[in-house]
Amino acid sequence: MALERIARNIPASSWSVASERLIDIILNSLNASKMPSELAKTILYYWQRGQLVTEIGLERLLEASVILEPEKTISSLEELGLSEIVARLKEKL
Amino acid sequence: MVEFGIEFVPREPYWKITFYAIQAEKIGFDYLWITDHFNNRNVYVSLALVSAYTERIKFGPGVTNPYLVHPVVTAQAVATLNEVSPGRVVCGLGVGDKTTLQMVNVEQTKPLATIRESVRVIREIASGRSLEMQGEIFKVSGAKLNFKVANPVPVFVGAQGPKMLALAAEVGDGVLINASHPRDIENAVKFVREGLERAGKRSEDLTVSAYTSFSVASDYDKALKAVVPVVAYIVAGAPEMILEQHGISVELASKIRDAIVHAQWKEAFSCVDNNMVEAFSICGAPETCIEKIDKLVKVGVNQLVAGSPIGPNMRRSINIIAKEVFPHFKEK
Repeated sequence: MALERIARNIPASSWSVASERLIDIILNSLNASKMPSELAKTILYYWQRGQLVTEIGLERLLEASVILEPEKTISSLEELGLSEIVARLKEKL
Repeated sequence: MVEFGIEFVPREPYWKITFYAIQAEKIGFDYLWITDHFNNRNVYVSLALVSAYTERIKFGPGVTNPYLVHPVVTAQAVATLNEVSPGRVVCGLGVGDKTTLQMVNVEQTKPLATIRESVRVIREIASGRSLEMQGEIFKVSGAKLNFKVANPVPVFVGAQGPKMLALAAEVGDGVLINASHPRDIENAVKFVREGLERAGKRSEDLTVSAYTSFSVASDYDKALKAVVPVVAYIVAGAPEMILEQHGISVELASKIRDAIVHAQWKEAFSCVDNNMVEAFSICGAPETCIEKIDKLVKVGVNQLVAGSPIGPNMRRSINIIAKEVFPHFKEK
């Protein structure tokens, strides 16, 4: 399953906290050089428009987070109790 | 009412700086300054991205220097940014960082004349006017931009010593005082007032900014850990007179400097004590920072620049400023 579709399965009630967690992972990553520039610009576009706590914003955050910190992404989503998302993510990775 | 600025160092990738810039604008910062060192990412490329992703915040180099970049080029850069974001661009100018300039064998000769003439060049050229100037440092013969300029770009001068502070007040639209301690700022403001008098300017004609080293966190130890490396550098580069005024041992400062030169970071940072942190930064929990900012405002500051490191976690620290520091000042 594509990452976009995985992200769409995050329940709306968890969007805010998931978005916060993923942003933290991305901004604090020591693998910042792995960030694709086009993806970074898309995230900035959504951030500027207040759309990182939406389905499309989360798709892009999840994509970046998995590229930069796959293990931290999985453990963070596990902490949020998003076990179905984690299982799908593990299949994908 | 006091305005707030924030400083970013483009050591980080462009997308992180731009992310924080958007955040700074969202929470209500008034100014955004990006440092200019040749060994970091380019200041104007960074500012162009800030310009593209923000709509209100004022921004500019904080600060560039005329030893590495000729003032006509600085004027061209800020005028171009001003075309992209009319009325939002400011230009911070100073003598630059000695250590970085030494790496490329550039000396900070005749700093007062260099800054005075640079301000004139930048102001005239960035306003779209033609300039004829036979200065002591810069000679410009009919230089003019080949494009129209809408608004003038305010020039802020970074200063620390008495003569530069007075000059900054005399020729600048704003002064960026490189200090964090209320006593240092109070002393600096006296020289700023001298410069204002000399130029026949009113105090309302000048923005007086404290360009501080700032670290806020809900936990003091975390704020402290983040600020120690910055304070170590400040102590290492501080003139003896300033060290003595704060009761800091010149020998200890020398020890820190030697350790930094030899990349012995642990040694350098372990020498930083609470007195140094108190002298050269605004560090601590929000209420501590509020108390110190209050003191700066009382001695005449009308822009507080939160400079590096901001805090142990940039995004969270910016949010702390929004939730706990701004309400104390912005709702007054």
